[in-house]
Amino acid sequence: MSTKPSQEEGRTLRFEIFRYDPTRPEVEPHLDAFELVEQPYMTLYLALNRIREEHDPSLQFDFACRSAVCGSCGMMINGRPGLACSTLTANLPDVIRLHPLPAFELVGDLSVDTGKWFREMAERTESWIHERAPFDPEAIEERMDDDLAQAIYEGERCIECGCCVAGCGVANVNPRFVGPAGLNRIARFALDPRDARSDTDWFEVLASDDGVFGCLGLMACDDVCPKDLPLREQYAYLRRRTMGAARAPLLQVEGVANAQG
Amino acid sequence: MAENPTLPDPRPGLIRPTRVRRDSRRGVLTFEAQRRAARRQAIYEAVSGASGAALAFFMWGHMLLVGSILTGSRGFDWVASGLEHIYVAQPTVVIISVLFFVHAALASRKIPSQLRERRRMRDLARSLARPLDAPPGAASRATPHLESSLWIWQVRTGMVVLVFGAAHLLLIGIDLFTPMFGERVGIEAASSSERVAEGLVIPYAILLLAVEFHASVGLYRLAVKWGVGSRLSRRTLLAIERVILFGFLGFGAITLVVLAGWVDPPLAFLTEGL
Repeated sequence: MSTKPSQEEGRTLRFEIFRYDPTRPEVEPHLDAFELVEQPYMTLYLALNRIREEHDPSLQFDFACRSAVCGSCGMMINGRPGLACSTLTANLPDVIRLHPLPAFELVGDLSVDTGKWFREMAERTESWIHERAPFDPEAIEERMDDDLAQAIYEGERCIECGCCVAGCGVANVNPRFVGPAGLNRIARFALDPRDARSDTDWFEVLASDDGVFGCLGLMACDDVCPKDLPLREQYAYLRRRTMGAARAPLLQVEGVANAQG
Repeated sequence: MAENPTLPDPRPGLIRPTRVRRDSRRGVLTFEAQRRAARRQAIYEAVSGASGAALAFFMWGHMLLVGSILTGSRGFDWVASGLEHIYVAQPTVVIISVLFFVHAALASRKIPSQLRERRRMRDLARSLARPLDAPPGAASRATPHLESSLWIWQVRTGMVVLVFGAAHLLLIGIDLFTPMFGERVGIEAASSSERVAEGLVIPYAILLLAVEFHASVGLYRLAVKWGVGSRLSRRTLLAIERVILFGFLGFGAITLVVLAGWVDPPLAFLTEGL
């Protein structure tokens, strides 16, 4: 099979789609098969909409932007996480098997609740700039180095589709693991000079098997990320910073903790 | 945090990570307990990686020393008795044995304890690797996701090394510290060759394969995890790993057949004048 998109009409595609509705547990999880005639430049997003219109209006799947920006349509495409809207059927074989992303709560069929996972992750990593002083709208914004701004932006490009989490062996077996997207998020804020959190503030979120040490370095996240985020560099950066924080004397840390009591 | 009056924020205006965390196993963890736990984890992680790297580098040196058999038993005996005479060999065996078990204990932290979890990781590796244009099901067993399966094989070879390597360490310890093997206390070419020729060649071949795979993949993984050679692509790092793996496997295989006496030492002329 050629990976070059052939835009000729006529190929009959067979879609085998995972079906399960948690509100109707009496119906066992199963695969439903649908057949469609391939059209030029057909994406999985277009195909799924046609299946819903022409075959089964009860089919559940998520989408919003159709252009790989919203991160809603992540799903397992022939066993690999990817975005339905940016996957051309021309790059797929005649049989296309679709499953919902694992490691997330199933809403039904191909739809999973990535929002809940990302909300929990954002709260856990406190994904906001922690300022020392209240924001002063009158003050002149501090200057930032171009390279640093670019590095922060690289982490910020995450669209929260959940493909990395679904592809991560550790996230699949340890639900408390902060996950590739979570580590990327921490790296983004750890880089940011506007964030007042020091390495020792991050330390207990990071230094555990639920944090950066949980990562085995399988790098499936890096392989499947639809936005090609520099995940490998982010993890290595966090690991090194965590070791730096570990070297900070515990007594000093305890001093801070005791001062609280 | 407002809900915890005993731990007021030391720096007003600064929101800090959760001060008190609920832990499913240990109940409520205080700030200090979290710090202590995190620090312990950091030490485990560092020692696990450092011991692995130290053992891998030791294996390279070890390979060169055992490789002295390529110059014949004279060269081997000269190296062995020399290292014993200046008391380098004896402490090395003790230190490596300690590192060996420390590394086994710490690195095995990462192996999922449930069989179901390990199956899940294996199945995910198989499902991930399939190119998008391959028919579902068909090619999945043939080409699992490379780095996921490298990790799975690292666990498997680690188990093999734990059993066979422990036996080897015990054997070498006995040989080094007692007169049980050979004519004197210490390692000799004659008794080592005899052991290998009379049956240990098979377990040593298995150990060689397992050690070299485990060590080269382990070094690759450390490089990826800690950002060593981060300018190189993973493909390049993997190619370097391959070269190291097959280089040492080849050298080890030659050493082993020479030690077993199947092939005459190819570099024996170097020690003829001694």
